[in-house]
Amino acid sequence: MDSSTSVALEPVLSFLAFSLSKLESGFYRIPGSAVVARYVKSSHQNDPGRTILELILVIFAIRTLLQSRTRTDRSGKHFIKFSEKEIDELVDEWVPEPLAQPLTEWEQRDLSSVPVISGPNGPKPKLLATGKIVTNLASFNFAGLAGNEKVKERALETLQKYGLGSCGPPGFYGTIDVHLDLEHDIAEFLGTEASILYSQGFSTISSVIPAFCKRGDIIVADRSVNFAIQKGILISRSTVRWFDHNDLKSLEDTLISVEKERKKRKGPLTRRFIITEGIFERDGEMVDLPKLVELKLKYKYRLILDESISFGTMGRTGRGLTELYNVPAEQIDMLVGSVANGLCSAGGFCAGSSIVVDHQRINGTSFVFSASMPALLATSGSEAIIFLRNNPSVLLNLQDNIRAIRAVLEKTEGITLLGHRASPIIHFCLRTQQQSLAVTQLTYDYEAEERILQDIVDDSIANGVLLTRAKHLRGQEMVESRPTIRIAATAALSRKEVEKAAGVVKASVTRILSKRR
Amino acid sequence: MPTAVSYLSAVQQTNARGRSRDNFSVPSTPALSLSPSITASSEDNAFSEDDENNCLVYPITPPTSEQIFTTVHTEFGHCANEAYRCVSKHDYTKPFEERTIEEPPYYVFFATHISLFILHLLGHMRDFFGKRFAKSYFAHLIPQNGCMTDCLCQPVTGVPGRTIVILDRHSIDNNYTQTYTGGKTRALNISSYNYLGFSQGGGCCSDAVKESIRRYGVSDCGTRLEGGSSELHVSAEALVARFVGTEDALISSMGFATNSTFIPALVGKGSLIISDELNHASICIGVRQSGAYIRIFKHNDMSSLESLLREVISQGQPKTHRAWKKVLVIVEGLYSMEGTVVNLPKIVELKQIYKFHLYIDEAHSIGALGPHGRGVTDYFNIPPSSIDVLMGTFTKSFGAAGGYIAGPKTLIDCLRLRGHSGPYAEAIAPPVLAQIVASMASIMGVVSAPRPTNSTFSLSPVGSIVTPRDKTKEPLGMVPASSLPTWMNLPPALADGSEARMRIRRLAFNSRYLHAGLKKLGFIIYGHSFSPIVPLLIFNPGKLPTFVRMMRSYSPPIVVVVVTYPATPFETARARFCPSASHTKEDIDIVLRACDEVGGILDLKHGSGERWGINTVCERAVELVHSVNV
Repeated sequence: MDSSTSVALEPVLSFLAFSLSKLESGFYRIPGSAVVARYVKSSHQNDPGRTILELILVIFAIRTLLQSRTRTDRSGKHFIKFSEKEIDELVDEWVPEPLAQPLTEWEQRDLSSVPVISGPNGPKPKLLATGKIVTNLASFNFAGLAGNEKVKERALETLQKYGLGSCGPPGFYGTIDVHLDLEHDIAEFLGTEASILYSQGFSTISSVIPAFCKRGDIIVADRSVNFAIQKGILISRSTVRWFDHNDLKSLEDTLISVEKERKKRKGPLTRRFIITEGIFERDGEMVDLPKLVELKLKYKYRLILDESISFGTMGRTGRGLTELYNVPAEQIDMLVGSVANGLCSAGGFCAGSSIVVDHQRINGTSFVFSASMPALLATSGSEAIIFLRNNPSVLLNLQDNIRAIRAVLEKTEGITLLGHRASPIIHFCLRTQQQSLAVTQLTYDYEAEERILQDIVDDSIANGVLLTRAKHLRGQEMVESRPTIRIAATAALSRKEVEKAAGVVKASVTRILSKRR
Repeated sequence: MPTAVSYLSAVQQTNARGRSRDNFSVPSTPALSLSPSITASSEDNAFSEDDENNCLVYPITPPTSEQIFTTVHTEFGHCANEAYRCVSKHDYTKPFEERTIEEPPYYVFFATHISLFILHLLGHMRDFFGKRFAKSYFAHLIPQNGCMTDCLCQPVTGVPGRTIVILDRHSIDNNYTQTYTGGKTRALNISSYNYLGFSQGGGCCSDAVKESIRRYGVSDCGTRLEGGSSELHVSAEALVARFVGTEDALISSMGFATNSTFIPALVGKGSLIISDELNHASICIGVRQSGAYIRIFKHNDMSSLESLLREVISQGQPKTHRAWKKVLVIVEGLYSMEGTVVNLPKIVELKQIYKFHLYIDEAHSIGALGPHGRGVTDYFNIPPSSIDVLMGTFTKSFGAAGGYIAGPKTLIDCLRLRGHSGPYAEAIAPPVLAQIVASMASIMGVVSAPRPTNSTFSLSPVGSIVTPRDKTKEPLGMVPASSLPTWMNLPPALADGSEARMRIRRLAFNSRYLHAGLKKLGFIIYGHSFSPIVPLLIFNPGKLPTFVRMMRSYSPPIVVVVVTYPATPFETARARFCPSASHTKEDIDIVLRACDEVGGILDLKHGSGERWGINTVCERAVELVHSVNV
């Protein structure tokens, strides 16, 4: 019986042996196969356990490679398996919220009270709603460049030659020579090696920060930096340490504690950045730049400075804080400014070394993926720089007007003036027990305060002075700040006009506050 | 078969020969001086040095006396042949092709991966040794690719219209730095997003822009909510709403920021965003800022979307299994790298069942698709009201800048207050608004209705909708003259909409012709046949710079865009053409001929299907465009 089966199986076995030897010789003919064989032999070492382990490793590697990159929760422990019918029912049951919650009564009022200007904006615009001409203390026209005839002329020339739109991102034939000219003009004006132009002021810094700061890097930032910086920090996914608002002592403490922490954890040396503003958009405070630069050099940090408000307004010719404090601009690693505010055109820039700038040409998201700025806005910026260079007296007027406004408002009952005395934006809030700008209590009633301020704004518009509250996105800012009214000083008005306007504001404040008592 | 290097040198020689000959005689110009058309305008003489490329500056067939062209040929090509027109409209009798993917032969894939591998290896070796031996170069560690700096950020000058003038540059240190020679070259521009050709220096919309600069200056000095709103904003927003066909709209000063600053205002924690895998970076940034959960579905794959929807709605939020507050599906109308058109009918169908909110980014499709240029909704003839949020930009079809969001009034008002742009970002500049209003009104056509005496046109942003549209009185989507600024006087051809209709039909013809032509020549082309984005697959990254240089040294020079990772998947590097209404049929012929020649040398023709010779393609263009299977 046994022998008969073995006889019957013999041709099969011999065929198997033959094909095995054929396979073997075929395998050895493949170049490099000897290496594989040697590896298998040496790893096996007469121990099947080792081979099994190797096999498992190979299978695991293959599985990892084949696994989809986008993680799904399908296999997770929280996944519940439903039948098709159950899914259909769940889908039927599900009622989504409406995409937008309707505005509250207060928000409606807020929106409808936004002033709309008829005709050109400038020091004395006409309001559409009333048809009245008002004195403008709301718009950013610091150096009085709005409506400048030379700028208009240059813009018209540019339009003739370049058309309006750039029709493409900078990488794809959207870099026009006028962009390079403006970049060069800004760099030369500030005294940096190079600069790069973004097509919107707001998006500039929120793109600059993630271009340099990556996961694992350390950012030390002021607690009440503006919204754009907050968003930039959020996108960068870096580790953030906050220091108290405009308090360089607190900054130094933070820098020391970061260094201590690193030593304790023996972590690797990462890139480290200090991010703050020159003049804070939120309250008009000014940073002590020489001290800041000293700290940055001492603790070996890179400095990202947002000069959106101070560029074009501070210093003798508007070069910003670097000119005011006589700090060489090269000491600031990334100097971000706004062409829209300071030069009354549109867009923003980041100035620094050519390495810093070139890095952004590939890594600045809103530079790479956005269409470049229209040519005529770029030439308007260049023309504005020429204007600032040639008319240093303009900024003296601006400082005069700032002093005049502050002098009147300081004497006003019931409000507190905030910010640095030279700041071109002047915030004031209602005087209460609490003096600091940051709000700590959760129950704080912003809306009530906003309503009073809005009454003041409406009253002063009715009396011929255009004002605005500083608008914030409640609930989205990292630190909620007290509601304020923001005055933007301008050099385009004479001292007398400014004093008169400030007087109107004062009268409005007194009127509204006395009504409430 | 000639090699790439020999080709380049040969073209340079012929160019040089051409230049020397053209100095003696300028053919075909005398005839033109008599014709009424503006061919090379006197204002254009800033670039008079480049008239060696005659077919770019002067039309090949001179216009007859009855043909009157009001455009400059270098900015907007002269084309009077009515056969070279087409209507972009979805044919519901045919199934929708979600994405046509053609695979190249395996050896191409193999070579691509090998060259990518070598590129990586070299990069890492360069970093490894460079950091040790040439510290000064590597102090910064910029991820810089020498080859690509030659192809990227090519500075240009002049109007980015039908042709563009590039500033010549060369490099003596292996593309570390570029030196400008000071020379300029006029090249055929098949790269700018100038779909309807509204990018023009003179005539057309620029008169309106000029007037706006004189009246308003160049800036609005502030944010929309803080004293930067002007009447132009209000009327432009009302016009956009009317154009798109929604209740209300808002305008932001930057297209990128429209996505990145308004998406966070729509959804937040407890909501889910479902996004197409190939959505634009601006959407990704906006989505990341919003704090919502993100899930991704396969590009334009409706079954993948549906199964994902079934999964997420039935599962609810992770861990807690609470129902989602909102589910927002974000897709693009026309994908900027693929040229695919979203399968809108299917998505709208799914929306009925799964009740999600739909956000469509029409950055590329608005103006460029549909028989009336109103984007994907127009192309598929789907009412815009069935889509929750319609977003788009003005950079592409309108030759301006900035972006808009259109939708129901409650939504737009909410975004005005709660979006980041309102309180923090500068308002859009008046000249840009003027360009938007002029170009948009010319696409719609203006009805010169008598100005109503007591207009109900409320001008505060809250009441920015013009009186409810009376569909019986007005022809489809035309705009009454009263909604335009009083000072804006459009030329008659623009005001009655005929010019823009011609442009839309020319764009449709050009894109379809280029798409079909390249396919017939044997290239692998992605995307929809009506899409004004025509990606030509190159695969091997090494061929990209060569392709750019060879096209640039073709006679006449052609500037092309090549894209690779991170804008596209690793292995599918491509060249991307953007035909425009400003191109003539002859221009597209030139592009096809150049691609045929260069593509042969670089071995790019791997497409399947029937192949035609280049001459057959050019001769049978009209037939090709109107044939069903393109």
